[in-house]
Amino acid sequence: MSDTITDTAERPSAVYTGGDERLAYRGIFQRLFIRPEIGALIGVIGLWVFFWAVADPFGRAQGASNLIDYASTLGIMAVAVSMLMIGGEFDLSAGAMTGAMGILVIMLSKASGEFGGLGLNLWIAIPISFAVAMGIGFANGWLVERTKLPSFIITLGTYYVLIGAKLGFSKLIVDQIQVGDISEAGGHGFWVKIFAAEWNRNDHQWDQRDTVYVIALMAAIALVVIAITEMHFSRRHEGAKASGLPIFGIGAAGVVAGLVVLHTTDNTSGNWLGAAVVAAGALVGLYGFGAWRFQPIQGRGAVRFTPEVVKYLVAGLVGVGLSILIAAVMNPSYPIDGPDGVVEDDLFFPFTKQGFRATMFLIFVAVGFTSLLIAASKARRVSTATKSVVAMISVIALVVTAFFIRSESVAVKFRTEAFSVVLGLALFVLAWTILGLLFEERSAVDQRSDRLGSRLIAAAAVAVVIGMVAKLLFTTSAEIESEIAQAKFSMRTVWFIAFTIVAVLVLGKTRFGSWTFAVGGNKEAARQVGVPAARTKTQLFMLVSGAAWLVGMLLAFRLNTIQANTGNGEEFDYIIAAVVGGTLLTGGYGTALGGALGALIIAQATLGIPFSRWNSDWRFLFLGVTLLLAVLANRSIRSKAESMRR
Amino acid sequence: MRKMRTVLAPVVALSLVLAACGGDDEGDTAATGEDTAAETGGEDTAAETAAEETAAETAAEETAAETGGEDTAAETGGDDTVTATQGGDLTFHMITHSDDGPFWSVVKRGMDAACADLAVDCVWAGSVNDPGVQVQLIETAIAEGADGIASSLPSPDQLIGPLQEAVGAGIPVITLNSGSNDYQEIGALTHVGQTEFIAGQGAGLRFNELGATKILCGRQEESNVALEERCNGLADTFEGDVVSEFVGLDADQTEQQNSISAALQADPAIDGFMGTGPVIAMSGLGAATDTGREMAGIAGFDITPEIIAAIDAGEIAFTIDQQQYLQGYLPILLLFLNVTNANVAGGGQPILTGPGFVDQSNAATVAALVEAGTR
Repeated sequence: MSDTITDTAERPSAVYTGGDERLAYRGIFQRLFIRPEIGALIGVIGLWVFFWAVADPFGRAQGASNLIDYASTLGIMAVAVSMLMIGGEFDLSAGAMTGAMGILVIMLSKASGEFGGLGLNLWIAIPISFAVAMGIGFANGWLVERTKLPSFIITLGTYYVLIGAKLGFSKLIVDQIQVGDISEAGGHGFWVKIFAAEWNRNDHQWDQRDTVYVIALMAAIALVVIAITEMHFSRRHEGAKASGLPIFGIGAAGVVAGLVVLHTTDNTSGNWLGAAVVAAGALVGLYGFGAWRFQPIQGRGAVRFTPEVVKYLVAGLVGVGLSILIAAVMNPSYPIDGPDGVVEDDLFFPFTKQGFRATMFLIFVAVGFTSLLIAASKARRVSTATKSVVAMISVIALVVTAFFIRSESVAVKFRTEAFSVVLGLALFVLAWTILGLLFEERSAVDQRSDRLGSRLIAAAAVAVVIGMVAKLLFTTSAEIESEIAQAKFSMRTVWFIAFTIVAVLVLGKTRFGSWTFAVGGNKEAARQVGVPAARTKTQLFMLVSGAAWLVGMLLAFRLNTIQANTGNGEEFDYIIAAVVGGTLLTGGYGTALGGALGALIIAQATLGIPFSRWNSDWRFLFLGVTLLLAVLANRSIRSKAESMRR
Repeated sequence: MRKMRTVLAPVVALSLVLAACGGDDEGDTAATGEDTAAETGGEDTAAETAAEETAAETAAEETAAETGGEDTAAETGGDDTVTATQGGDLTFHMITHSDDGPFWSVVKRGMDAACADLAVDCVWAGSVNDPGVQVQLIETAIAEGADGIASSLPSPDQLIGPLQEAVGAGIPVITLNSGSNDYQEIGALTHVGQTEFIAGQGAGLRFNELGATKILCGRQEESNVALEERCNGLADTFEGDVVSEFVGLDADQTEQQNSISAALQADPAIDGFMGTGPVIAMSGLGAATDTGREMAGIAGFDITPEIIAAIDAGEIAFTIDQQQYLQGYLPILLLFLNVTNANVAGGGQPILTGPGFVDQSNAATVAALVEAGTR
C-alpha cells in the first residue's frame, strides 16, 4: 500500500532521509522515466514522427487540425475517465452519455409542435441538461456505493438505459432516429460561439509568424537544455564562479548569431556557416554555464568495456546499420509521380511500399538508438569515461543517420526537417558528453536546483505553446500565394486543453486529487485515515458525466443533428486512451495528462491510415498493434526505470 | 408448445367465426373446399414450374390432408364469411429485420396502405436485426396459418430454412429489401427490393455525368456486404478510379469527417465522394468544406431531412432512394394477386424498387413526401 502511494505521488520527493531507499535520490532522467505518462508521450512523438515520414499531409497545419479535432472530444472524456479509473472505478455509460446529452439539449430547445421539442431557450436548456448529467453521475456513484456492486455492472446498466432512452425518446418525440436541429433554438448565436466557434487559419495572415515561431522554439530548446543541465550536474561547492558567465554569454550570442544567419539565408553556404556557428556557440555557451555553476569532475575512471556494455553497443550499431541498409535496398526505383514525392503505387500488404520502407527504417532506428541509450546507461556505472565513449559513438551514428535521411528520404519535408532535428539531437548529445567529462553529476537532492529547473521547463513549455499557436493559427502571405489548403481550429480544442490543464492541477495539487489516489489504491485504508471515500467516488462519477455533458454540447453545436447511436461504444476508446496513458485498470495509479496523450495516440493511429492512403481494411489491426505496443512500452519503460533506482 | 398453438389457433378462429356468422347456412362448406384447393394449387404454381403444376397440385392436396388438417379447417372457417376472391379474410405477415427506424417506418406505411387498399389483414413484425427472433416470427406465422409471408433476408443462413418450411407448407413467400441472391433457393415468388450493386451502378453513371475523375467511396461499417456492393457497383460503371474505404462509424461523426478529410488531403486527385449512407454523406460534405476542396460531386444513399436539405441547397448532388414504400406495398399486392388470381410477377427476376434518385430537381417534392411519411 505504501508503495502505491509513493508511486502515485510522483511529484519529486524532496525529502532525503538517507535510510529509506524509496526516497533515495533519483536523477532527472529516472524521475522523468518513471512518470506514468512517459510511455504515452514517447508513443505520441513516435507515431507523429512515423506518419510524418510516411504521409505527406500529416505534418501540415491542416493535418494537425484534423488530428487535434478528433483527439479533442475523445481526449476530454479520456482525461475524466482516467481520473475515475485512478479512483478505482469504471463508467461504461460515458460514451452513450455524450450522445444522450446532445439529444437532450436539442429536444429541450427544439421548437414545440408536432414532433417538436419543448422550445426552451438555450439559456435554460443548457443548464437543465447539465443538471441531468450531474444527476446521472450522482446516480451512478450512489448506486455503486449503496449496492457495493462493481461499477462495471452498475454502469453497464446505465449504458443500456441511456441507449434505450436515446432511441426510445427520439422515436417517441421527433419520430426519427436522429434529432435536430439546434441551430434554430433561441440563444444559439451566443452558445455556438462558446462550443463551436471556428478559427480559419487562412483568414488570419501574419507575416512575422515564422520569426516568432523560431524564436519561441529556440528559446524553449535552450531553456530545456539549461534546465536539464541544472538539474543533472552537481552545484559548485564553493559557490558560483563568475568567470564562467562571460563565456556563457559569448556562446549564447554565437547561437543567436548562427540562428539569424540560418533564418535569413537560403543558400547552402549560409546554412552551413549558420549551423556551424550555432553548434560552436552551443558548446561554448554550455561550457561557460557549467564553469559558472557546476563542480569540476574529480575522477573520470578508465575506459573499460564490460560485456554488457559491448552487447548493447553492438546491438545498437547493428540496428542503426540495418535501418540504413534496408532503406537503401528498398530505394525507390519505381516512378515517383505524386506531388511532393508521394509515391502512388500499389499497396504492399497493408502499407504502401514507401510506407513499408519508412516503417522498417524507423523501427530499426528506434531499436538501434534505444540500445545505444541502454549501453550508455550501463557504461555510466562502469565509469564516466566509458559512458562518454559510448555517447560519442552514438553522436557519430546520429550524424550518419541525419545525412542518410537527407539524401535518401522520399518525403520532402521529412528530408529537410528530420535532418535538422536529428543533427540538433546529435549536437545535444555531444554537448552533454563534453559536460559530463568536465563536471560532476549530482548524487544528492538539491531542492533549489530542482525548483529552478522545473521553472525553466515550465517557461519552455509556455514558449513552445506560444510558438506552436503562432505557427498553427496564422498564415503568411507566402503560404497564401502558394495556395496552401485551409485549416480550421475550433473551440473543441480550447475546451480540451483547458479541461486537461484543470484536471492535471486538480489531481496533482488539491486535496481532492490526493483523495482520488487514496480511494483508488485502497478504499478501506483511505476511509480509515479519514478520506470521505464514498463522496470522492461519487464526485468522480459526476466529473465523468460532466465531461460527457461537455462533449455532448460540443457535438450538438458542431453537428446540429445528433444520431440516436452517437457515442455508443466509445467508452472503450476512453478506457483504452486512459490505459495507454499509463493509468492502471486496478486504480490508484495514473495521470490525467496520460489520458490526453492516449487520446492523441488513438487519433494518430486512426487518422494515420487515411493520411498514408493505406488499405483501410487493416485499420483496426494497425490500431490494435499500436495500442499494444504503447501499453507494453509503458510497462517496460517503467519497470526499467524503477529497477534503475537502486 | 408449437403443437399446442397449432391446435388452439384454429379452434379459436373457428369459434370466433361461428360467433360472427351466427350459425349461418351449410351450403358454403362445399365452396370452401374448392377455395382451399384453388389456393393450395396457386401457391405451388408459384413455388414450382408450370410444367409440374398437376403433380404439384396432387401433392399439395395430400400435404393438406396429412399435415394441415387443422389449418385447413381454420381456413375453411375463415373463408366462409367473404368470398376469397375479394380477399377479405386473408392475412399476410410481413416479417423483417426492422428496427422501426425512419427507413422501416416508411416500409410499414407502404404495407398499411396496400392492406387498406386491398382490404386484407396484415401483421407487421420486426426483429430489430436479430435473426433468431426473425426465425421465431416466421415459424409463428406458419403456425398461425398465414396466407402469405413477405420477409426480408438479412442473414440467409438462418432464414432460408424457416422460409422453405413456409413454402413447403403451401404458404406463398416473397422476399423484400434484402435477399435478392437467395429468394430463388427458397422458392419465393419473387424478390422486391433494390440490389445494391445495381444501385451503385446507377450512382456511377450519375458521377460520369457530373464529370468526376476519382471517387472516394466511404463506408460507415467495416464489413458489411451490402455497403461494399454499393461501392463495387459504383466502380463498375464509373469511368474513373474508385477507392472504397471504411472511414468510421455513424456513431462517431467526428472520426468520419476527419478521416475523409485526411483522405482528401493525402490524395489531391479525389474529386468525388460517395457515402454509402446519408450520415456519412453529410460527413463527406463537411470534410470537403473543411479542406476547401472543389468536388465534382458528393452523393449519398437513402434519405434523411438533412441530406434532402443539402441537396436542395445544391451542396450534395444526389442521393439514391430505395423507394422502400414500394417494398412495403408491392409484396402485399403480389401476394394478394397470387392467392386470389394465381399470378406470379417478375418472371423469375427480382422486382427492383430502385435506384430512385433524389437530386435538386425533385428534392422539394421528395421533402414533402418525406414529411408525409411515404418516401
